[in-house]
Parts: sequence; C-alpha cells; structure tokens
Amino acid sequence: MPMAREIEFREALREAMSEEMRSDPRVFLMGEEVAQYHGAYKVSKGMLEEFGPRRIIDTPISESGFAGMGIGATMLGLRPIVEFMSWSFSLVAADQIMNNAPKILYMSGGQFGCPIVFRGNDGAGGQLGSTHSWCVESLYANVPGLKMIIPSDPYDAKGLLKSAIRDENPVFCLESERLLSIKGDVPEEEYVIPIGEAVIRRPGTDCTLVGFGRTVYFCEQAAEELAKEGIECEILDMRSIRPLDLDAIVTSVRKTNYCVVVDQSWSFASIGSEVAAEVHKACFDDLDNHVHRVHNDDVPAPYSHDLEQEMLPHARKICEAVRSATYNA
Amino acid sequence: MPIDITMPRLSDTMEQGTIVKWHVAQGDAVESGDVLADVETDKATMEMQAYDDGTITSIAVPEGQPVEIGTVVAVMAEEGEDAETTPAPAAAPAPAEAPAPAEAPAPAEVPAPAEAPAPPATPHAEAPKTRAGHVRISPVARRLAEEHGVDITTLQGSGPMGRIVKRDVLSAVGATQETTASVPPSAAPGAPPTPAAPAPAAVVVQATPVARAAEKKPADLTVSSGFGLQSHSEPLSNMRQVIASRLVESKQTIPHYQVSMAFDMDPMVEMRTTLNDQLKSHGVKLTFNDLVLRCCALAMYTNPLMNASWGGDHIDYHGDVNVGVAVSLPPERGGGLVVATIRNADRKSLRAISEETHVLVDKARTKGLTVDEMSDATFTISNLGMYGVDNFTAIINPPNSAILALGAIQQKPVVRDGQVVVGHEMSVTLSNDHRVVDGATAAEYLVTLKDLIENPGMALV
Amino acid sequence: MSTTTTPNLKAHEVPIPELDVLKSWLLDMLRIREFEVRAMQAYQNKLAGGFLHVYNGQEAVAVGCIAAMRHTDPVITAYRDHGHALARGLDPKIGFAELFGRIDGCAKGKGGSMHFFDRDNHMFGGHGIVGAQCPLGTGLAFATKYNDEVINGGKSDSVTACFLGDGALNQGSVHEAMNLAAIFDLPIIFCVENNRYAMGTAIDRCTASGDQITNRAVAFDMEARTIRGMDVIEVYREMTEIVEWVRSESRPYFLDIDTYRFKGHSMSDPRKYRTHEEEVEFEANDPIDKLSRYLTSSKLMAEEDIKAMSKSVRSEIREAVAWAKQSPVPDVSELHHDVYADVWGPFTGTSLPRYMLEKRSGEGGDADGA
Repeated sequence: MPMAREIEFREALREAMSEEMRSDPRVFLMGEEVAQYHGAYKVSKGMLEEFGPRRIIDTPISESGFAGMGIGATMLGLRPIVEFMSWSFSLVAADQIMNNAPKILYMSGGQFGCPIVFRGNDGAGGQLGSTHSWCVESLYANVPGLKMIIPSDPYDAKGLLKSAIRDENPVFCLESERLLSIKGDVPEEEYVIPIGEAVIRRPGTDCTLVGFGRTVYFCEQAAEELAKEGIECEILDMRSIRPLDLDAIVTSVRKTNYCVVVDQSWSFASIGSEVAAEVHKACFDDLDNHVHRVHNDDVPAPYSHDLEQEMLPHARKICEAVRSATYNA
Repeated sequence: MPIDITMPRLSDTMEQGTIVKWHVAQGDAVESGDVLADVETDKATMEMQAYDDGTITSIAVPEGQPVEIGTVVAVMAEEGEDAETTPAPAAAPAPAEAPAPAEAPAPAEVPAPAEAPAPPATPHAEAPKTRAGHVRISPVARRLAEEHGVDITTLQGSGPMGRIVKRDVLSAVGATQETTASVPPSAAPGAPPTPAAPAPAAVVVQATPVARAAEKKPADLTVSSGFGLQSHSEPLSNMRQVIASRLVESKQTIPHYQVSMAFDMDPMVEMRTTLNDQLKSHGVKLTFNDLVLRCCALAMYTNPLMNASWGGDHIDYHGDVNVGVAVSLPPERGGGLVVATIRNADRKSLRAISEETHVLVDKARTKGLTVDEMSDATFTISNLGMYGVDNFTAIINPPNSAILALGAIQQKPVVRDGQVVVGHEMSVTLSNDHRVVDGATAAEYLVTLKDLIENPGMALV
Repeated sequence: MSTTTTPNLKAHEVPIPELDVLKSWLLDMLRIREFEVRAMQAYQNKLAGGFLHVYNGQEAVAVGCIAAMRHTDPVITAYRDHGHALARGLDPKIGFAELFGRIDGCAKGKGGSMHFFDRDNHMFGGHGIVGAQCPLGTGLAFATKYNDEVINGGKSDSVTACFLGDGALNQGSVHEAMNLAAIFDLPIIFCVENNRYAMGTAIDRCTASGDQITNRAVAFDMEARTIRGMDVIEVYREMTEIVEWVRSESRPYFLDIDTYRFKGHSMSDPRKYRTHEEEVEFEANDPIDKLSRYLTSSKLMAEEDIKAMSKSVRSEIREAVAWAKQSPVPDVSELHHDVYADVWGPFTGTSLPRYMLEKRSGEGGDADGA
C-alpha cells in the first residue's frame, strides 16, 4: 500500500462519494443538511462547492419523501446516495426503504433494479436517548433484496462505500457517529473493497470473536484483556452483513472451536442470532460449546451516560462471554 | 455427576417415543432396574428402566409428549458424593448391572455376562457418568475423541453439567504441543493457568479461570428439587399387562411353596478363578450364572421329577432339560423381563452354555429374542445376586413347576471343620408347584444341587 | 364544473382529435372494461388470487390523461393499475398472465394485480401501499429533469403523471412528495382519481375540505384544478393543457379528477357504505357510453361499428385469457431470481420478463441496459 496517509473515517466516506461522483454523473447525494451545512456530521464537507446544488441536494425533513424520491429516480437510471442524518430517522421512511427499494426488482419481474445507497449514523451516539440510538442492522438485514455494509475503519469505509455506489442493488451503509473521527491509513490510489468479505482484525487460536462496525473496537479491547489471561481471540470484522461472509467465520471457528458474536443491536432475532444459527449449522462438529452472543442490553437506549455505556456490548461483557464459552468462567 | 436419562430406541423403526406414564417423580430414589416409565413407541408400549442408582433430580419430558430418541427425558443424581472414594465393588453394580444372569457382587467381579458396554476397568467409579452413547459431550470433543480413539465413557467432563469438552479429550490424548495451542489456557483440568492471574479487584478480569471452574463444580451437582410426589394413575404398558396377568395366574393357581438352602461357594469361586485364568487366552469368561445353570441342569438329570409340568388331568415329564434364564431388559428394549431358554442344558458343555447365554442375553437386550428362543423352558433361574440380595422367593413361570431364586455370593463367617472362618456363601430358594413336586422331591433336588455346586469339578464333566 | 386556479391555461383551445384517435380511445376503454370483467370472472374462478381492484367506471381517466402525454413521459400509479398499464400499451394477455401468476406475466407472476410494470411503455407500476407511489413518482420527475439538465445539459422536457386516489391524500408520504416536487420544481402531475371513496370511507368522512381537495395544492404552492373524469375528451383536453404547462414550466401540478368506481374497492367489498341509487346514477354516466354517444351523435361512427368494435374486443380479451391460461406457472427456480441484480448465495441474478426479451430478439436490438 504505497503512499499511505491517515485520514478520518468521515473523510474516507467523502472521498468515496466524491470519486464516484466525478466518474459517474448519475450519482448524486441527497439528504438533510448535506449541502450548505456540509452534513450534520461534516461528512459531505466541501462537496457542494465541488459538485453544485444539483448534485449535492439539501432535502426537507421528509425521510419518507426523499428516500422514495431516490428510489423512484433509480427507475430512470440514476444512482442516488441518500444520507440519513441518523438511521434512527429512517424508521419514518421504512415503507420506502423496506417495501420498495429491496423489492422493486422482484415485484417488477426483473424490469427495475434499484441501485441506491442509503447511509448514515447507526447505533448509540453519545447520550442521544432512546429514539436517536437505533441499531437498525438486525431490523433491516432481515429483508431480502438489499445489501448491508458496516465498515469499522476509514480504509474499509472508503472501499466499501465505493463498491456500494457501483452496486446494482440497494446498499445500506451503516456508520457510527463514534467512529467518524477515528483516523486510519487510506492510500491515495483508488481501490474498492468487495461487499461480502470479512477480514481478520486480530489472529488468534482460542476463540473466534465476530464483530462489525463499532463492536470491532469492543472486541479488540476484550481481546487485549483476555490475552493477559492467555486466551488468544481471533477477531473477525464482518464489514458486510448482507451478504455475510459465513465462510470466514466457519474457517475461524473450525480452528478455535469457540465462537462469540458481538452485535450492538438487540439480541432477539438479530444478526447475532443469525450468526449463531449459521455457525451451529455449519460448525456443529467443530464446536466445543454453543455460540455465545453479546448484544446491547434488551432495553431502550438510556440517556444517562453510565447507563448508556453499560447497555453497549462492551469489553467486559465480551470477556465474560469468551470465558464462559471457553470454559474458563 | 448428574446422569441423563434419554429416550431409548425401543424398536428398529422407532424414531420417537412418548412417555405414557412416569413411575418416578422428582426426588424419588431409584435403583438400577427400576421401571422409570412406560414408553409408547410406534409399535407398542414398553418399559424404560433405570441403569443407575440415584435420585431423580428432574423430569424433563412430561407424559404425553413425543420426543426423539436420545432426548433427555429425566436427569438423575448419583448417590452421594462418594463416587470417587467408594471402592470398586460398591460401584460395580451401577454401570452394567445386568439383572438376569447369576452374578454375585463378589469383589472385583465385573458384572453381567452382557459385557458389551462394560467400561474398561477404571480405578474411579465416576468414569461412566452416563451410558456410552448418552454421554454429555460437546460436538468437537466427540469428534476429537473419535479421531484419537478415546473412549469417552472413561472421561470426566469438566464442562457444565459434567459435559466433556475439548480439553478433556485432549488431556486424555496427552495433548501435543500443537494441539494445546488451540486449547484455552486452563484446558488441562487442574493445571493452573500459566499467565499471571490478575487481582480479583480488576474490573474486567476476574478470578482465575481454573479457580472459578473448580468453585462451580459442587453447584452443578445440586440441581434438584422443585416438585414433590404427585398422585396420579396411568394405563398399563403391554408388557406390564402381560407380566401382571401371567404372574397373577401363576400365584393364584399354582400352590407355591419354597425350600431354601445355603451353599458353600468357596470351591466354585476358586474354580472359576482358575478356569477363567486358564481360559483367558480363549476369550472365555465363565460367570457364576453359567456354572450354577450347568449344575441345575445336571441336578435335573438325577431328579427328573422336577423337570415336569402340570397338565390339568396329567403331569408332563419332559425329556429335555431346558433352563430358562430371566433377563431384565434395558430401556432400549422397553424394560421388563423375558426368559431366554438354554435348551438341553444338561447335555451342553460349560463353555457352550456360557457362550449361548452370553449371546441370548445380549440379543434380548439389543435386538430381542425370537419366540423360539423364549419357549419351552422346563425350569427357570432368577438371579438377584448382583444386587446383594441375600435371598428371595420367585414366582413360578408357568408351565414350569419350579423356579430357583439365587441370592448373592457373600463373604460371611462360616463354620468349617468346627472353626469359624470367612467363606463365600450363597443362599438359594426353590419355589415349587406342589401339584407336581412334593417337598421331599424339592429338598432332594437341592441336595443334589448343593453337592454339585460345592464340588464343582463334577459340573465340568 | 371546472374550477381552476390557473386561468392562463386554455383547455378549450385544445382541438378534439381526429376520428382514428377517438376510435382508439374507445377501443382502449372497451378493452380496459372487458379486461376487468374477465379479471373479476377469473378471480371468482380462482384463476387469479390475492387482491383484485378493478377500474370499471374510471377508464376515461387513464385513457384521457395518458393520451395527452408523450409515450416516453413516465406514468406511475397505485394498486388499481390495470387501466393505466393497458392504456400505456400493455398487451392484455401479458396482464392476464400476471393475474394468473404465470411466467409470461409482466412481472413473471411475481407481482400480481397490484404490480403491473411495463418498462418499454414507460409504466413504472403498480404500487401496493397507499400513497407510496408518490415519492417514487417524484423521483421519476426528479430523474427526467436531472437527466435532461444535469447529465445532458439541456432543458427539462418530460412530464411524469403520478396517479393516486383521493384516499391517498391523507397519507404523509403524499404530502412529503408534493412538498419535494414543489421545492425542487419537478415536472410532475399528481392526478388524483377522486372516486369519492377511500376504500369504503366516503371522502367527506375522512378528508378535510374533501369537497375541494385542490385546497391541498395551495399549501404546496402548486397549480391545481378539478376536471370531470367521466368524459374522456374533456380529460384529454384539460390534461393536454396541463401537461404542456408542466413541461414548459417544470412545475408540479395537482389535478383533481372527478370520477366514480363502479365496482367495490376490491372483490370482497359488499359496498354497504353507499346506496344502490347512487351507483345507478353514476352508472348512467358511463364514460364508454358517453364517448359512444358522442361518436354516434356526431355521425362519426355507427352503432353497428361500435358493436362490432365491442365484439372484437370481447374476442381479443377471450383469446388473451386463453393464452394466459396456457402460460406455464413459474419454475421454482424463479423464486430466487430477480431478488438481486447479481448472483450470490441462493440468488440467481435477474433478467427481463419473457415478453420483453422476445420483443428485443424479434427486433434484433440489443438487450436493454440501464
């Protein structure tokens, strides 16, 4: 990776969008405060100046309306990027993004695909309370016809978002407010990362930790602690949720015989439960214990700082799960 | 260690079974051989019996609910905590507890002629915590055990509820450097973790893994309680109906009487040890049951009046001496009893009797006996010696006119040549049909039998 | 009864088309009516499943509006969509195949009655959720304008017709769509087919100022008018003016079209919420009869010609039903086809419906990209 440089997660997202917009005039960015305000989280800073108001479009606060408008535009060949200031707000657009985007290809018998990207912040921010702290991954990943990416670092964010913009299917890109400022090496040269491929963040022999997005960092903290106890965790960053790189998980679990999934959404009918079910199926004879899951607590996100932190699938919970899974509890 | 009681496969086509009646409840003490439940299969209603002594700690499957073979239907706790300290003899009946054939709980005796599932002699009785095939074990541990040829019934599980986990297998294998690489640090049971155990006060890192695991063990054993006995009634299984009607008929219509006698077993114990030592290379292992059966058949030869049946207006004296052996069935066969017939036992060698008994008992417990293999007995032996029963009386198995009940071979003070010494003794009780056999005839038969048993060389030829 | 807030528009100046065009409208309306009658029959015979919402009585709306548009102007509607698709040129046999859940349907039997898509005829569905087509329609208008102006550097030159029912007026997404269309100056006409009932709820029971729904347009700074929807010529002339205004101004328009649904909301509707007298009264105002009377009274067509046309349509539709019945049910492999555009996991990619592929190979043209 020559010419490595460090940029922020939000800059990586911006570079992905800008590069794709430069090369494809069908691509445009639309959402609340994306243009003049430079994005509520400054992801699209400077894009209005480069691409102008016809392609960097401030919308009214009408998630259902502009999400549907983006979907409609794909039927005539455009490739919108629709930013939700927060995925929490996407719930009011649920009909459009769940009923139309992922199904229109099927409902039309192959006549109309929907090459659109929905992106925005997902998960607990900082004391945003119950309505603004949604983790929508389990909710939306349930729907066939869409793809979902949850990058955890700037390099992946850029490469995956570029793939998403080029994809012929609706892609949901879930970012984390807590990660937007982190920095990472991103090459100057153009690259893309295929959707659907996990990466090993930390090799290990004793227990497979499956995480994605922000939970990868929780996993890394836990792995540090556990290493002191002599338990070497292998951390898989799934990066994509649909398609899910089950092969990567299986390969790791066949090696370690233990698996802990860390998912920042609620546990019931979640990505964590999906991974657990698939691992139990694919790795039944390789498991020395059932798959353990670490999730957000099954409560609405609280406001109070300490309560919110405790709710998250944090390192202590992960350590406890790994010890239990590996019979070290 | 808790013992899983699982739904047995009671017919070749059976895939699931329904417990139509539980005969035990949570908290009940059960002994091996007790009927735990009646199980309805696709073919019939069968009995499920206990294979271990202990206490039922939980009933997992209620009556009326069909479950797959292998499903845990109840959990039982072994008696006490003394599994590791109790010497082998006391524990011996538990694992294989073959009820039928004569087998005394003599020291170091591996019980039961049907030795198929008999675990390799392990010094600690806790080894076979459940029957082979029903061991609580993680999938990868099972696979590793197969790959390394480890008999999982010999392993002590270190996981929850005694689950055998990967590290248990690997430590049994004598884990190599490479394999330990994939075992978490505390893998080897008892081995302290190599890394420094952080202070308990640490927020994230708590007590040392091994210490915690050790602490947990006793708690695992205290799974128990909740419900008391419940009054209820349940319909009979088919086998129970048959047993009930035949034995009621026997007891009500046959004028039973019993004669008892104690035999000095020292010569037979000694002879059996010698014979088995010499026959070991031939793969032959004679049981007391084989020897007693042979003696009973020979005694019949000199007391033919015993080998008879009541015919209503006549008595049939049989030309063949066919000795029936009561065999209790395992849950796989639905529990209950069948009588396997050793035909012409008076004319068969000890070795032939031993082999045939072994084959028939094994078959009764696995595939089931044909009608032919269960018919035409002229005399029956019932043996509860392996339970330590001193003596008991048995109910005649019609159309036989006698049944011999064998007690345990026990070491006790006996008078030999005017001296009180420790010797082996066995008490037997012969139940007779007074319509066919008079008391003197029965007594003469026992005398003959005593002579043979106490001079067992005669049984050899 | 025409009320308008846009006095500059002069519908009366739009010439009445020539006989051939009028004849084609009559043919279209007869075809739609017969299609719906046979669809009802098929539904009752269990050839068609799901929900069936028929268009009887409203034919002049789809035929008149669409006649006023260019063939390339996008059309999108809700679930009562057969009329629009047929008016756009969908072959009835393809429609029946879809109703019957067959592979030759416009959506390969995966869409059903509510999802008549016909890309080659610029018909963008067929949408099942009330009002949800309005944000989509707004997106179509956004896209035509974006294509024309941003990508091609020209001037916006297309008009999108987004049909909705009066019941959809109380759906939030409709309001959002109208607002978006207004602030982005999108060339879209919200054609409200005001058949007076939101399913079984009369408009005055569920819609504020239901007697003058063009009031809604005022809130969005949108031009609006109400027109009579049972007269296809009037619909056409009004729509022509509006379409050309929208095309030239690139502004949205709110069109309230007064019409009546002869049948129930769906096939399971006993219509207890309205009187028989009311139905009889409106049936006397049948748009097909109206055009027929115009043609005969103007001596443009003889009664016999119309009867012959009607007979010919019946025959055409009968054949279409027969053809659709012969179409195979989709192979189970279709289940995982058209879920994703690409191939992964159990999914086998996507392809156009058979009738479109055949048309392309027949024309020797390349497969449609985009």
